[in-house]
Amino acid sequence: MASILLKARHLRQCCVHLKGAPGISSTAVLQGDAPLISTDLSLLKPEEIEHRKKLQGYITVEGPTNTSLISGVPEEQVKTRTVRIYEPPKNCMQSGTNNIGHWEIDFDTKERWENPLMGWSSTGDPLSNLKIQFSNKEEAIEYCEQNGWKYFVQESKLEKRFKPKSYGVNFSWNKRTRVSTK
Amino acid sequence: MAQVARDGLKQVRPILSLDRDEARKRVLNLYKAWYRQLPYIVRQYDIPKNVNDCRNKLREEFTKHKDIRDIRIIDMLVIKGQMELKETVNIWKQKGHIMSYFKETIEPKPTDFLSKFLTSKD
Amino acid sequence: MLRQSLTKVLNGAQLSPKHIALITRSASDQAAKKPEKIEVFIDDIPVQVEPGTTVLQAAALVGVEIPRFCYHERLAVAGNCRMCLVEVEKSPKPVAACAMPVMKGWRIKTDSELTKKAREGIMEFLLVNHPLDCPICDQGGECDLQDQSMAFGSDRSRFTDIDHSGKRAVEDKDIGPLIKTIMTRCIHCTRCIRFASEVAGVDDLGTTGRGNDMQVGTYVEKMFLSELSGNIIDLCPVGALTSKPYSFTARPWEIRKIDSIDVLDAVGSNIVVSTRTGEVMRIMPRVNEEINEEWLPDKSRFSYDGLKRQRLVTPMLRDSKGELKPVDWEVALLTVAKQIKNAGSSIGAIAGGLADAEVLVAVKDLLNRVGSEALCTEHTFPLDGSGTDLRSSYLLNNKIAGAEEADFVLLIGTNPRLEAPLLNSRLRKGYVHNELDVALIGPKVDLRYKYAHLGDSPSILQQLVSGQHEVSKKLKSAKKPLIIVGSEVLERVDGGAILSAVQKLSASTSPEVENWKVLNVLHKVASQVAALDIGYTPGVDKIRELNPKVLLLLGADEASIEKSDLPNDGFIIYLGHHGDHGAAVADAILPGAAYTEKQATYVNTEGRAQQTLVAVSPPGRAREDWKIIRALSEIVGATLPYDNLNEIRDRLDEVAPHLTRYGAAENANFFKQAEALSKSIKTQIDNTPFDVKLKELQDYYMTDSISRASPTMAKCVQAVLKQKQSKY
Repeated sequence: MASILLKARHLRQCCVHLKGAPGISSTAVLQGDAPLISTDLSLLKPEEIEHRKKLQGYITVEGPTNTSLISGVPEEQVKTRTVRIYEPPKNCMQSGTNNIGHWEIDFDTKERWENPLMGWSSTGDPLSNLKIQFSNKEEAIEYCEQNGWKYFVQESKLEKRFKPKSYGVNFSWNKRTRVSTK
Repeated sequence: MAQVARDGLKQVRPILSLDRDEARKRVLNLYKAWYRQLPYIVRQYDIPKNVNDCRNKLREEFTKHKDIRDIRIIDMLVIKGQMELKETVNIWKQKGHIMSYFKETIEPKPTDFLSKFLTSKD
Repeated sequence: MLRQSLTKVLNGAQLSPKHIALITRSASDQAAKKPEKIEVFIDDIPVQVEPGTTVLQAAALVGVEIPRFCYHERLAVAGNCRMCLVEVEKSPKPVAACAMPVMKGWRIKTDSELTKKAREGIMEFLLVNHPLDCPICDQGGECDLQDQSMAFGSDRSRFTDIDHSGKRAVEDKDIGPLIKTIMTRCIHCTRCIRFASEVAGVDDLGTTGRGNDMQVGTYVEKMFLSELSGNIIDLCPVGALTSKPYSFTARPWEIRKIDSIDVLDAVGSNIVVSTRTGEVMRIMPRVNEEINEEWLPDKSRFSYDGLKRQRLVTPMLRDSKGELKPVDWEVALLTVAKQIKNAGSSIGAIAGGLADAEVLVAVKDLLNRVGSEALCTEHTFPLDGSGTDLRSSYLLNNKIAGAEEADFVLLIGTNPRLEAPLLNSRLRKGYVHNELDVALIGPKVDLRYKYAHLGDSPSILQQLVSGQHEVSKKLKSAKKPLIIVGSEVLERVDGGAILSAVQKLSASTSPEVENWKVLNVLHKVASQVAALDIGYTPGVDKIRELNPKVLLLLGADEASIEKSDLPNDGFIIYLGHHGDHGAAVADAILPGAAYTEKQATYVNTEGRAQQTLVAVSPPGRAREDWKIIRALSEIVGATLPYDNLNEIRDRLDEVAPHLTRYGAAENANFFKQAEALSKSIKTQIDNTPFDVKLKELQDYYMTDSISRASPTMAKCVQAVLKQKQSKY
């Protein structure tokens, strides 16, 4: 799989090299030498060069994009799994908030067991460690749709009414907020 | 759990082909290349299938993806198919790999509710 | 200088959209009656805030987080840890951000040299007396002190006491079976003290001594007698208070966290289940401002060890000797199916308190297919008048968050402290911050706040309805009155008459707020609202009348029906997860999944549908409940038309659409119609005094099959009883 991607990327990079005048390296021109002729390009027909140029642009495709056929994820893992899209909650033990405030996806939990030899946690689920962060839920939804996974969005109720805090209420003489214990 | 399928047209970067005709040409080329290679494959790998079986299988493998409309996905599948062909022609594969097109080696899992219920937890 | 930046703001220069929104909002607020907002600058970012806002809150508005130990947004300001010191321009000293209200035009520097130096100094002082036992500390990995010393502390130590002469050491306290104390680690933030006195209402914790000799404790050895005690474990920013049952069992970086819903009371608190190697290690609260804020009662937090004991792990059948023998699923299903086929339509089902909406609807579909309508819940509810046809008669209509806004609350036959501790904490919040007055009809119980006890006689309710009671005036004049009726008092024979009286009473009030709902019913079990929504008949009387040949118990463990209530050849099937009362009388046991082991829908007492998620897989051969019913239906020959969770959720959606709108609580609005229908009720309220089952703290801990199987909960009961005998 990875090799295919590499190949595709390589193809694109080839095209990037060919931007200027066909077959002539621009640096060579600057130096005033005889222009170097790149062999792979000079042998191309004009329509092939045209085609390569067009590959730099955009094409129109129809329908939803579904990359599950080429992603290499086994069909079984695409059709039977459900993704949860959620905002990870704050750990109630800690006050820091830097690691929250984004959206994440994870998969339904499958069976896990303790490895009898080392006591490690084992699972037969290849997707159990896949956790991907997104900056908003629309991106996460798009990702799931692209990969052909069923999903549901878990909304959190985090809206809180703003109320100014006051140190003084600890000592108010006629309110129940008066502090008795120190 | 409502999921809205998002149809419509999109502007995307191409991979190999610029339009459907070109993609189709690539697919047909790949198909022909495999088709021509089949007699050699049958002979070299010594598989218990004849050329006709293999042709049927080849057709089946290609028609499995007949409904794909996205040009980029077609291109990627063509690239993958070329890789497979190369691996086959160069005998990088073994007999079992060829035979796995015909039959999965793993036990098929039950699909009806009751047998799924009785055999496993999911 | 100030003027210059003001003009800059007015020109809209260098403003992110977020701030523009803030400012425009403040402008529209000004048009109303709100006092004028003032502008301050946090690290040169301008922000408009209400007067009285603290520096720390103002910084939070622009996303700048100031480190803190003692400050907690849900507790009073203490201002004693000094970690939140920040520099304010033209102020000679750094100020404590958590306690200092902002002044107009202040330029606050949260990242300046002075601020950094102040933080570093505070960290150094805190660490001088803090033990270096992070590797064996249960807080390690999720400790505020660790985090903040990494972020703000010095990179080297000046602590040179190699003779171990001066490091502070404090004796550990024993405050009960839930909380482990290692007091040497305490940094005196007093969060636990403030939680105890403000939220829990138990003024037992406090400090003794001063300076280096200061100690947090109970002064005399005493258990922390609160149903919310576990929350001080979360609040503690260091490892001084940790969970006793969880101690030394797992580390935060090796556990997986799964969001879920608590089902041990009808509140439906949001929780995070931590698991490792297919085992629940602990349960912690998850913030939901509309339900549990960020608290969790002790039963929900600590009874998870009950999920590992007394479990039904394999199907069982009673043999000729009367003993339950383990069998395969095939055998169990065939035997049960045979009994169901023979019984024909003479079959009934009772749903217990932990049944989820999926299995409830599957059982209803199955029984309807074989021609029976005998579907009951274990906990009863009056059926006269509008009965359960109108949702408004059986929901906590004004929602849990609405309770803190009320100005007068009348509790009838309920003990919210033990039936729904988080509703009680909301009431207490209203009592402390909102001058809420509470009155109670029912047995005199300890709610941890002052309330007017009107007596436990039903005649008081009648006096109130006729407007003759001394409280009547107060109830009528209240702007935001609430009447909360316990489900237990409606389980009485005269429940219908009581509900009708309460409906009349609520109609006589005159709330001044739109959409304010006076009538509220507080349920005790998680399944009840979903069961009533789906169309189950409350109470088991129908089963007694029908005398069915086959009875299906859906986790019904309250012994509401005995074998003697069935015909001699009657067959009891128990579908559930714990070997409790129900399993003891059953002829066939089909092991189901507990709430941590299934993705299932529960509807809380407000009518809010929420779903649990699978945290671990069911033990042994246990299966998800609705799947068992689905498999059974195929063998009986009445195959149910759903094979996976999505399909059964579609079916739920068909039965009642709100069941799949997770997180939302739909309003129910037919109060007038319900009251009109209730006029037809002929029964009279009899004179037996109102009673509740859960009176004292020891009654709270073991109320269902999970908490009854939990050794931790048993220890709590023992400890409370022991504390009651102590002279303190």
